Amino acid sequence: MVSAKRESLITQMRRGTLEYCVLALLRDQPRYGFDLVRTLAQSDGLVTSEGTIYPLLSRLRRDGLVTTTWNESPSGPPRRYYELTGAGHQALELFTSEWDRFTSAVDRLLTQGGSP
Amino acid sequence: MTTKIDTLVDRYLTDLEAELAGLPANRRREILDEVGEHIVAARAALDAESEAAIRNVLERLGDPADIAAEARDRFGVPAEPAKPTPWLEVIALVLLVIPFLGWVLGVVLVWLSRLWTTRDKLIGTLGGLSWLVAGLGTLSMSARGSTAVGSGPLGPTETSLLEVVVFVVPFLLPIAAAIYLGFRLRAHAGTVPGSQERSGHGGP
Repeated sequence: MVSAKRESLITQMRRGTLEYCVLALLRDQPRYGFDLVRTLAQSDGLVTSEGTIYPLLSRLRRDGLVTTTWNESPSGPPRRYYELTGAGHQALELFTSEWDRFTSAVDRLLTQGGSP
Repeated sequence: MTTKIDTLVDRYLTDLEAELAGLPANRRREILDEVGEHIVAARAALDAESEAAIRNVLERLGDPADIAAEARDRFGVPAEPAKPTPWLEVIALVLLVIPFLGWVLGVVLVWLSRLWTTRDKLIGTLGGLSWLVAGLGTLSMSARGSTAVGSGPLGPTETSLLEVVVFVVPFLLPIAAAIYLGFRLRAHAGTVPGSQERSGHGGP
């Protein structure tokens, strides 16, 4: 019961933030799907099933925040690399600054209960 | 060994394709391709390929139904298996067009349903009440027919025309009412659960 509540809480929090975690992972370098997904999965609590990242990537691409290119792989067939677009960088910057404000406000309330 | 592994992967991707059925074709293709490439990359990254290792890769990917649910969520597609078949309503509609006893049971079921609004239920019931009119019409027809054959101002032609009206219309009305309820049911099936269920649910 408690774990079900915990699961639903995490799902709620993940909902609006996961796409920016994906954008953040692509900020400095393009990555191919498997690499991106495994790196994300190493962050505790962010991903329960790795496969659910692909619909998100598909959506980010439709929204023009990422593009894909094919690159040779050292082993095996060519790989599809995801790369941030200009709009993707802007969206990430906006989120980063708002996230700072948001988390400090929430942190303040959580630690001090609203007293000055 | 390899064939067993390929079978596992193929089955996973087939399941995923089926689960993604409600999405636009290009999105479905894209997600399928990407998950397929993920599996290829994951296999390439394994030290030694074994059935257990592949099962682990697929397990980490997650249930195809979860991936599809996420995809529908991201693309705003309503859930695919929309709703269970409304058997109560379907049976009610069939009963409504069966004269008399069937109709009475049909009306009871119509009023038990939570999918139709009170207005719909009234229309369905009133439309069907003409069974009664038809019954009375038949009785009076036969009563009159036995006494008035070939006499009076009404010729045979007029009589049969009147008969047709008195007979056919009441028999068509319940069918029309059932068709109306059927369309209302379909319109309802297209809405989000809960949005309409409660709006008109007054009950008898």
